[in-house]
Amino acid sequence: MARPHIEPFVDRDVQFRKFTMPGFPKGMQYKMLSLDPDNGSCTMTVMFEPGYKQPPGMSYSEYELFIMTGSITVGDKVHGPGSYFMVPAGIAIGALSSPRGATGLLFYNYGEPSFVESDSDHPRAERNKFAVVNSYDDMQWTSTNFFPATAPGCLVKVLHFDERTQAFTFLYCMTPNFWQDNISYHDCAEEAYHIWGTSWMMQFGDLPTGGYFYRPPYINHGAFGCKLGTLAIGRTDSRLYNHFHFNPWTNIEENRERAASRIQHWMPDLYKWINTHGHNHPVDFDFDHGHAHGDMAHHHGDGAVEHSHKKKRRRRK
Amino acid sequence: MKSIPHQRSREVEAWLKREIAEQKSRYRKIVAEQDALAPKRDKWVAEFLQRIQTRGTHVHFNIMRKVRPEEVPVQPKRKFRVVF
Repeated sequence: MARPHIEPFVDRDVQFRKFTMPGFPKGMQYKMLSLDPDNGSCTMTVMFEPGYKQPPGMSYSEYELFIMTGSITVGDKVHGPGSYFMVPAGIAIGALSSPRGATGLLFYNYGEPSFVESDSDHPRAERNKFAVVNSYDDMQWTSTNFFPATAPGCLVKVLHFDERTQAFTFLYCMTPNFWQDNISYHDCAEEAYHIWGTSWMMQFGDLPTGGYFYRPPYINHGAFGCKLGTLAIGRTDSRLYNHFHFNPWTNIEENRERAASRIQHWMPDLYKWINTHGHNHPVDFDFDHGHAHGDMAHHHGDGAVEHSHKKKRRRRK
Repeated sequence: MKSIPHQRSREVEAWLKREIAEQKSRYRKIVAEQDALAPKRDKWVAEFLQRIQTRGTHVHFNIMRKVRPEEVPVQPKRKFRVVF
């Protein structure tokens, strides 16, 4: 199974705990927000205690770090509130310290938290995908460019976009007195954390500062409202499409079926092709073929989905 | 490369096991809290169904349309779940 539906959860209601994961230095505390029981990927609020020091090192999983308060120093550069790091698996970042302490969010997207001391990248690391930006000082708010779009007054700053999955990480704000009177669901999972402010959703009530959700695909949310404004960070695991409607009582199965029906009408030829191929393993010529590594999940026409094959051995002639 | 294959130590497995158990209990608490919110939610839903007939429902950005009375959905008999 993937991560469960955690909504809403307010991290202000729980205490920080010492982070004792093997490999990590002492001086980091955390609050677990959500965790995938299978692969260990997780999202945590973290606190670097004053004086925290971490040597140069890498993680086996891609991770993202967003600084909310205080500052950290990586190498010789100080990163304050709003700083965002996208660190692909195997990328070694410089020595990290926090002389006066900091709080932030850590997103381990594909595996459990790990830290291996190293001053060089892993051979399989993709250095070109490493990114650091101060989202408060160096980026400006834009309207969402989805179609159909959220109502006026919801603005975003896109921090990271994955070209293959179209997953993205973004800051978003709701202006004071924002409202959107419809119900939404998506084909992707999404998670978000309120850095500041309270918003309201018809299903779950108020989500205040420190509020968090991890929402699997096809779950209804909305109508929405926000009296005084909200600043938040969100993340999806794949492409986000706003499936809008106004029926409060539909469930996941009905929403998924509606989404599939829409694919059938929007991309009829592709839909037919997907459904009629017995061993359905579409290959994107822009990327590695899954069978080459044996690790890419794919689907069979007999209903066996989300599985992968072991790498085939070559026959000796 | 999203994740590099590696072996998990027993300590890491134990840490994950504890976190998974705590998450299960967190999930149960959320479900209980959301069940308790049902009366308020029913009121919010009733107000929403009124608003979309008078002020309208958002279709795209600032484009709204009014929902006709015959389009207003009827609540099915099954339990109204919001946490899945």
